[in-house]
Amino acid sequence: MRPYAIGGLTLLLTLGFMPGRAAASPQEAQQTPPAAAAEQAPAAEQAAVAQCSDCHETVKTFLANPHARGEVKDGQVPNAVCESCHGDATAHMEAGGDPSLVKVPRGLEGSDSTCRTCHDVSTDRRSHQFGVHANSEAVNCLSCHSVHHAQPRSAHLLRLAEPALCANCHGTQAASFRNKPYAHRIGRGGMECSSCHEPHGRPGKENLRLTKAGEVPCLGCHAEVRGPHVFPHGAIAAGECTSCHEPHGSSTPKQLKRATVYQLCLECHSPMGDSTLGSQPPAFHNLNNPRYMNCTTCHVAVHGSNRSPALLK
Amino acid sequence: MKMKTSAFWLALPLLLVSFGAFAQSTPIDLEIGYRWTEVDGNEDLYKTQINEDDGILIRAFSLSSNDLGAFDHFRIDASDLGSGPAGSLRLQAGKSDLYRFTLGYRERDVYSALPFFANPLLGQGVVPGQHTYDRNRRMIDADLEFLPGRKVTPFIGYSRNTYDGPGMTTYSLGLDEFRLRQNLDETEDELRAGVGFNLGRVYGMVTQGWRSVESTEDLTLAAGGNAGNNPGPILGQPVSAADITRSSETEVDTPFTNMFVTGALTNRIRLIGNYSRFSAETEGSELEEGTGSFVSFAISRFFTGIEETVTSNAENKTWRGGVRAEIALTDIFGLDAGFRTESRELDGSALIDTLFQNTITFSGVDPRDVREILEAESAMDREEDVIHAALTARAVGPFTFRVGFQQAKQDVTVMPDLSEIVVPGNQSGEFERSIDTLDASATFAKSGFLLGASFRTDDADDPILRTDFLGRDRLRLRAAYRTPGNMFRFGVTAEQLNQDNDREGANFDGEQDSLTAEFEIAPISMLRLRGSYSQLDAESTVTILRPEILQPMTSFHEEEGESIEAGISLAFKRFTLDADMIQFENDGSIPFTLDRNRVRLYADVATHFGVIGEWANDDYDESSPFGEYSADRYGVYLRLK
Repeated sequence: MRPYAIGGLTLLLTLGFMPGRAAASPQEAQQTPPAAAAEQAPAAEQAAVAQCSDCHETVKTFLANPHARGEVKDGQVPNAVCESCHGDATAHMEAGGDPSLVKVPRGLEGSDSTCRTCHDVSTDRRSHQFGVHANSEAVNCLSCHSVHHAQPRSAHLLRLAEPALCANCHGTQAASFRNKPYAHRIGRGGMECSSCHEPHGRPGKENLRLTKAGEVPCLGCHAEVRGPHVFPHGAIAAGECTSCHEPHGSSTPKQLKRATVYQLCLECHSPMGDSTLGSQPPAFHNLNNPRYMNCTTCHVAVHGSNRSPALLK
Repeated sequence: MKMKTSAFWLALPLLLVSFGAFAQSTPIDLEIGYRWTEVDGNEDLYKTQINEDDGILIRAFSLSSNDLGAFDHFRIDASDLGSGPAGSLRLQAGKSDLYRFTLGYRERDVYSALPFFANPLLGQGVVPGQHTYDRNRRMIDADLEFLPGRKVTPFIGYSRNTYDGPGMTTYSLGLDEFRLRQNLDETEDELRAGVGFNLGRVYGMVTQGWRSVESTEDLTLAAGGNAGNNPGPILGQPVSAADITRSSETEVDTPFTNMFVTGALTNRIRLIGNYSRFSAETEGSELEEGTGSFVSFAISRFFTGIEETVTSNAENKTWRGGVRAEIALTDIFGLDAGFRTESRELDGSALIDTLFQNTITFSGVDPRDVREILEAESAMDREEDVIHAALTARAVGPFTFRVGFQQAKQDVTVMPDLSEIVVPGNQSGEFERSIDTLDASATFAKSGFLLGASFRTDDADDPILRTDFLGRDRLRLRAAYRTPGNMFRFGVTAEQLNQDNDREGANFDGEQDSLTAEFEIAPISMLRLRGSYSQLDAESTVTILRPEILQPMTSFHEEEGESIEAGISLAFKRFTLDADMIQFENDGSIPFTLDRNRVRLYADVATHFGVIGEWANDDYDESSPFGEYSADRYGVYLRLK
């Protein structure tokens, strides 16, 4: 699909809803969720009911908040949206806004008793209760997400733009993206920490966000190295991309783990000691000759070849 | 460049239409303008590292609403569309309980032209190196989910990933390397469909997908590349190329299946099972022709031409499955335990038909063409079984604890290929490795204070690759404090990673220490100051075999990096200023300094209109020749909101 097709598709979608803004169809009304249906009392009756927005300016932000999807009608956010997290506010209203008479979810208890009542999915790789960011005193839903004060341009109601948010705790990794000359462009072009990591993922490698086919996240973008090849590079086939590359920021070109290519290659391809994968005798290349300092000048198909076992083409 | 222009001009009317239609009632924010670039020094290096270009740019765009007629939620976020180098657009739209549509578009300008990479001629002042490219990657993901939130939610999805553009590479032929112009065009399409289900105590998802990749690569001898890299003759024969062409086509088909199911046995016990598999099949064909003066030790002859055709097939069959239990022992304590297994089978075969034309022996007799037909095969299997268990305490007063254990057993079998051209050796065989991992962490969090420590130790019995560790320890410490309302925030993180393989012949020893401290303070509501200090020390030593003399030597890699960052955000009346600077110095194996400055000034001219000025500067200075540049970018953008 060409880029203009994307623009065209988006344009169609945008234009598509323009004529329909005036009124919701009967069919749409039937699909209104139960919480909102309770709000569809006769206009006069509804006018008599105090609205959360009468006192709380922040309710207006729910015109675009995911928690109010399907609930907003005619620019109004019904009380039911607020009450889904804050509970029945009748006493709070009758007492003139006494804050002690309404539930305010905070911290671990608030996350457990409010957020997780809807958002508590465990899959093979995700777990809100047992993941790396499992709900705890130290980290809970509200550490990263803000229902009322989310960063406007971030998805998922994040408190801050994702790179800055993750940097709050993972400063070393964040600094390597900002400071190193060779790095993935985090925060730009749709590349976020969560492009590769599952924030609700489980510890270790389970924390990586796999491709739809189940491959390591690197291959989601770098499809050209995926293969399969007749002659795969053993380090990839038996290991991982991170055998040779730094995944975050790097001081070395191509985000390689060593400053010179021959170092990187010979650290595996040296037949000394234990029998290990790939430790066959190297050719008698003279490392003093610039031609041989960079192995990939000849071994160009370093990720795999369909023609050359020595990955020459 | 054409792609960038078309993407921009087609996105622009969309955004303006959106703006015009909804500006009155819908949160909308558009930043659009122009960026100028000035680069001194090595522009190729700048483009490799940063690649911000002159041109029109949609710096940012967002629109969101929960009340837009046919959609009860609609949102667009876009950034850096236009002159790139990395732009994106994300659209979400739908109607609750009926459907949910998401569309993601990402574009990247990928450039690489390094002075010291694959460059045997650097000493002669030739830059850049012989491996360069200037390509575009465009990715689209579209997903449509029906009846979200219901018991059964079917979905379909489509993705496309294209990667194309010119480049330069080298080709080893006749005992020399020649520069080739390269043109790569690769398109990947993926279609997927599936169903999610939620029956209360049991929920899950099944996805079936099909992915196809079509790739073509055309190579021709680059102008001026006839002489190759080797200046001298071989066995008295000068080596040169008059012409080289090579074209290859590759198709990969990959059906895949993913599924998981989660069942709640009780309110405290969940069982999760999963299974996924994919089977990727490659079919490739190549045609190569070359004329010139070449030498082959494989056939012990000189030759003046080569014709080669290759047909190849390769397969990757991978599946994984697992089951685990999440048990909430109490409201505080939990146990997570399970088993997972993964199997990967790689098989490949290639039929290589090579015709060496006009050959003659090294002694100058027996002139004739020589045909060599090679049937090569490869096979590699990899299996991994992992058992794991972890005990967690989410809240013991202000403390959080976790203790976990994992054992991974890996088995790699590589079949020998009798036709291999490389020197026979240890590249085939069976390699086994078992890794025991123990991790523990504790965190204290109270009244804005946070103290955390985590430790992980891995113990392996054997390496598979020489650089695999036998022992690895990782320690992480963090202390942080924040006041209510984030008026003041401070944090410091220290990490240490040690790994080694002390077997004789390898002597691998790696150590990495890092320290990061950061603070942020808002003494008054309109002013926010921030700063950070980072330090990284890394050392790695491995014994390697120096190939020309077959004597051991030590491969040593080092990084000694130190960075200081400072920033300010100031909001005064109609003006907002954001400024940041970074100074990074690395005294390691590649010594360099990198200074970065960013300034963004916003003036709120009217209720729905503002002006933004941006300045970005990067100064990179490396000790190697041609390894420096200074780049300034200036942007002026209008903001409509």
